[in-house]
Amino acid sequence: MALSKIDVANMLTGLVPNDNTIRRPNAKPLIINGDMAISQRATSVTGLTNGSDVYVALDRFGFNEFGSPSSQHTMTQESLTSGNAYINGFANALKMDVTTAQGSLDADDATMIIYKFEGQDLQLFKKGTANAEKFTLAFWVKSTKTGTHVVELFDKDNTRHVSGTYSISTTNTWEHKVVVFPADTTGVFGDDNARSLDVSWFLSAGTNYTSGTLQTSWGGQADTTRAVGQVNTVDNTSNNWHITGVQLEVGEFTSSTLPPFQHESFGDNLARCQRYFETTFEVGTAIGASTSTGIIRSGGNQGGRTSGRMGHGFTYPVPKRSAPTVVFYDNSGNSGALARLDQGSSTASNKNATLAGGSQKSFEVTSTGDSTADCLNYHFTADAEL
Amino acid sequence: MIIEKVKKINNSEGEFINHYLVNDKYNVPKDEANRDYQSILAWVADGNTIQEAD
Repeated sequence: MALSKIDVANMLTGLVPNDNTIRRPNAKPLIINGDMAISQRATSVTGLTNGSDVYVALDRFGFNEFGSPSSQHTMTQESLTSGNAYINGFANALKMDVTTAQGSLDADDATMIIYKFEGQDLQLFKKGTANAEKFTLAFWVKSTKTGTHVVELFDKDNTRHVSGTYSISTTNTWEHKVVVFPADTTGVFGDDNARSLDVSWFLSAGTNYTSGTLQTSWGGQADTTRAVGQVNTVDNTSNNWHITGVQLEVGEFTSSTLPPFQHESFGDNLARCQRYFETTFEVGTAIGASTSTGIIRSGGNQGGRTSGRMGHGFTYPVPKRSAPTVVFYDNSGNSGALARLDQGSSTASNKNATLAGGSQKSFEVTSTGDSTADCLNYHFTADAEL
Repeated sequence: MIIEKVKKINNSEGEFINHYLVNDKYNVPKDEANRDYQSILAWVADGNTIQEAD
């Protein structure tokens, strides 16, 4: 009988072998919604440009810009039915479509897709210690523009950054990329719920970010080194850029040693996204739409019908990262409002909704005296994004 | 979020509940971990003033 080789040394010390083994067996993926399955806010948003909100469509993945770019974009949760990403298990992607081109970038202009991490979720990288680990970022990408594209890690706690590149070989074709970033023995990530690390996929970058030498080892902030070589993907309205299957791994991997993407169920994925954003509007329904579908109806006024003050408490199914920003909507699309419902009789919309208290776990909304009612109707959004 | 006005929110007893109403729509907690509160702090640093509750 042949005996298997047993790594006695590591059994005794408890050390993890320092090779291309999977470091986090059975753990959930570090990147949330890397398969782009969740898009609570909207499935398509037009007119993204200078000054736009970061989070508009796909959960956890946002649009970011520097300077005052004039390019405009539509972000869409795209359903895939063919291509290499699809046949590797990805049915959704984030698509950026250029709707207003900017062929000539001002020096301080840049656009990008951004993902932000809490520091407490990154402690396993041991950044800022002698045992710091490398970062391997992998993703499926499709771009109209061929050539060099830049993706950056930015340490917000210590104002340090490092950039890597990937090359698009064939226009409008899904390609799988694996980008390895070095370890950083300087600058510890805060062990808290604050924003510690940004991952930015540049779409365009002016000379303020491209005139130096690309920062391929960690260093203090030097803007001219951040996106050197980045092609301008926003210079033509025919251009699109798509991404899915995003995963971040601890340590160094190649395309042949990369652990498989850790697919989660839709429900698990949604629950993890809800730590950062939650709404009562149904998936696929625009925030603030005129609809009663999904609306909260308070349990009724215990004293019966009243024209006086009424209140309702709600406990989030998933505690938020921090106390969220809450917006109330009534059934008719009015914001800052709720409806006073006299069941079986009438619904009075556009009545003032006042927050009476809020935390990471719950809120209470009140309605001051108004029309006779026996319960309250309202939608809400709760946003605790980084 | 482009801030136009910020007002304190009080409870029915007239006590500040550590939230602000921004643009008559957003209920923003007084919590430095909240990115909208960070925007309020920057807005105040630019010389703007938070209104008292009604």
